[in-house]
Amino acid sequence: MKIKKLAIVLMLPILLTGCWDNVDLADINIVTAMGIDKAEDGKVIVTVQVVEPAALQSSSSGQARGGSAQPKPVFVESYEGETISDALISMKSIVDKRLFLSTIQVLILGERFCKDGINEALDFLHRDYQSEYLTDVLVAKDVTPEQILKIQSDMEAIPAMYIKGTIENTAIRAKVKRTTLIELFKDIKNKCRQVTIGQITKVNEKTVKTEGSAVFKDGKLVGWLDQYQTRGYLFATDKVKSTIVNIPVTNGKMSIEVSNSSGKLDVEFKNGEPAKLSIQVNLEGNIVEYIGKETLDSPGNIYKLEKILSQEVKKEIVMTLNKAQKDYSSDIFGFGTVVHKYHPHYWEKVMDEWNDVFSRLPADIKVEAKIRRAGLIKSPMMKDE
Amino acid sequence: MKYIDNQPNPKNRKKMEENNPPKLKSEEQVDLTLDKEVGKNLEKFKAFLKDSSDVVIREFSLGTQSIPCALVYVDGLVNIAVINEQILKPMMYQIALLETSLNQPIQPDKIFEVVKLHALTVGEVKEVKTLDDAFLRVLSGEVAVIIDGFDKILIANARGWPQRGIQEPPSETVIRGPREGFTETLRVNTALLRRKIKDPNLVIKTVQVGRRGKTDVAYAYIKGVASQELVEEVERRLNQIDVDIFLDSSQIEQYIQDNYLTYFPQIEVTERPDKTVASLAEGRVAILMDNSPFALIVPATFYQFFQSAEDYYERWILASIIRLLRWSGAILASLTPALYVAIVSFHPGFIPTNLVISIAATRATVPFPAFVEALLMEITFELLREAGARLPRAIGQTIGIVGGLIVGDAAVRAGITSPIMVIVVAITAIASFIIPSYSAAMAIRLLRFPFIVLAATFGIYGVMLGFIILNVHLVTLKSFGVSYMTPQAPIRYQDWKDFLIRLPSQIMMRRPTSTYPVDIDRRNQDPVKEETQ
Repeated sequence: MKIKKLAIVLMLPILLTGCWDNVDLADINIVTAMGIDKAEDGKVIVTVQVVEPAALQSSSSGQARGGSAQPKPVFVESYEGETISDALISMKSIVDKRLFLSTIQVLILGERFCKDGINEALDFLHRDYQSEYLTDVLVAKDVTPEQILKIQSDMEAIPAMYIKGTIENTAIRAKVKRTTLIELFKDIKNKCRQVTIGQITKVNEKTVKTEGSAVFKDGKLVGWLDQYQTRGYLFATDKVKSTIVNIPVTNGKMSIEVSNSSGKLDVEFKNGEPAKLSIQVNLEGNIVEYIGKETLDSPGNIYKLEKILSQEVKKEIVMTLNKAQKDYSSDIFGFGTVVHKYHPHYWEKVMDEWNDVFSRLPADIKVEAKIRRAGLIKSPMMKDE
Repeated sequence: MKYIDNQPNPKNRKKMEENNPPKLKSEEQVDLTLDKEVGKNLEKFKAFLKDSSDVVIREFSLGTQSIPCALVYVDGLVNIAVINEQILKPMMYQIALLETSLNQPIQPDKIFEVVKLHALTVGEVKEVKTLDDAFLRVLSGEVAVIIDGFDKILIANARGWPQRGIQEPPSETVIRGPREGFTETLRVNTALLRRKIKDPNLVIKTVQVGRRGKTDVAYAYIKGVASQELVEEVERRLNQIDVDIFLDSSQIEQYIQDNYLTYFPQIEVTERPDKTVASLAEGRVAILMDNSPFALIVPATFYQFFQSAEDYYERWILASIIRLLRWSGAILASLTPALYVAIVSFHPGFIPTNLVISIAATRATVPFPAFVEALLMEITFELLREAGARLPRAIGQTIGIVGGLIVGDAAVRAGITSPIMVIVVAITAIASFIIPSYSAAMAIRLLRFPFIVLAATFGIYGVMLGFIILNVHLVTLKSFGVSYMTPQAPIRYQDWKDFLIRLPSQIMMRRPTSTYPVDIDRRNQDPVKEETQ
């Protein structure tokens, strides 16, 4: 009797819903990259880059099978649909297995798709349980996502991995805004800051370049930032981990590696109205290369260099701020966050036209730069006198 | 414990009675009480033993009056030299010398006492008054001396049979520590215990178990350390056993364990005297059986199966790291294949994309789902292991080479299984052998089969479910009144000093509380010494 009861209790969990989608790894198409674009008639074009593991293995182990042509390690397919999910499901008519989306490494948005607004259009990716929130998002400039995904890199067998690698290098370049899917969702819902997404361009059939960023306003693509403007933006928003800044010196050039940087945004209020934007950046750097004549042995010399470095960084930030205020009228920095936090009542009133208010405000930008180390040699490479 | 009463059906019973005529049993042929005449007593012995060729019955006369006497012993169980020199010689020859030198024959009614006190130069001499007792003694290797005119028998201990010497225990080897192991002889084993504890409080009691085997089963404990209730419980359970023969202590284990419906061992088994003594000092009871080199230790908790004797001989930091390694080995051995199946067939999103791609690449040519693949390889491994374990050592190696290298490699090449599955099976196999106790390792290793089935049906959810059910089962188990999962459930932090890790010996001054010892402190364990102070 006891055993019977126990058996019944043990059987009960079977009624609960477990993981119903038992799909063997061999029966799915592993999608490593996805592109979303819009056709001229307003339909959504979804492009997927799918890995062929077997081909990948044979190409990596170098076993050519029967002398036949080497199978491609990836294939790229596109399909049109009313919505993203519609396109994905309809795509089943041309692919052989179920599309598995959790492995997506990069998501590439088309220019036209972005211009029409991404806010509502990305609903599927937020709603679907398969989405990988750490997917990197990029906007393709001048090309369609499909063209990007069809490149064949010599560096990596899988183009998505190659693109992902170029974005990961951002940690030591700071010239592209890295946006993951979850950050994008957060920014879309956040009224205090406008969306910026990294930019990708095609160099040739084998190479892409991830540099610069796309600027959005109210979910719509309004323009671009080049690599230096992007770095200015990243300096101001405290996202630079390391980068190389070139500064002009007397009779030469110098490269300084920024090893540590912090940025702080503030909005000064006067009489209940915002009066001034302020950006404070503190950074530390080391001299990595110096092509010049002067020796670097006195504190005065170093101090002079620090001045130049500060000005150089400040120039980039000013350029970016001008672009955001004058050209795009979009608060990509997130000054709105400061206002929302410290002046919530004012924010309630101005929330909807904050971008206009932001564009009108004067700015005070302070950059404090320090040079800590000069490498193994003090003086430039030259003959001892 | 309740056993199913398996009555033979009436038809068979009738046939059994027809085939076996009455009065076949010796008990039914003769009167079992001892007689005063040697001849009649011998008749009784012969009624039982006449067909056994190894029983020796030697009739002789005692002293100058030629009192008829007889010796009964089993050849092979006795030391012939002792019988010749210490029993026969004094009785047949030296008593006569004594009588002639005294010039006076010994009175026949005193002869029994004289033989006992003056003639038998043997250490252990007893009197028995029943035939049953005499049989038990003779068949355990002692010598019955029957003297005319007395309805009692003298029993002299002249035991001596071929026995295995003390060797290194093959199932529990250590690199550092004592190398001796128990043997099949109970006396040797108890001697090994005595040599390690010279405390008079070490009690070694013996009971006979088995109606026909009448095997000596000894249980040892330290009075004043082991809980009295525990000792009584051991005694009660041992006395409750009612079977005909016992071959090994593992059969005793089966009769005295708490739950026979689980495959987790609830009694610790060891071949090592040092481990046994350490357990005694913790307040446990050890059960030793004649004819078995394995001692049983009760109560046992789950964590004991992860302790090796060497943990205490090695430096504590190293021992702790190795012990943690064993715990992770247990988890690996039971869950790795299940997690692999679950991830491959339900949750490829769990693992990094690069790994997904490489797993998919190796599985691309495999025609079976991961579940079938895992089952196939795991069963193959168990086949190889079992085949290797029972074969002579020389052939066992061949099995290892054929199984491990040829089958493993060929299976991958033939596309029956993926290389990653081979790695998973290999990791499982290695991890399962890290657990020192063979029976616990076996239980933990076989757990992976139900886990693989659960993983294949419900994914990670199934594995978690199985893990929960397993834990619920484990906490319900008890071993001689002690919860199986102590000190984890119920939590006893005092005992955690010797649980997942082993702290320095200086810190472990108290005995584990889980055994409810009479005296918790190890330092005043010697009451004799305390009284003298």
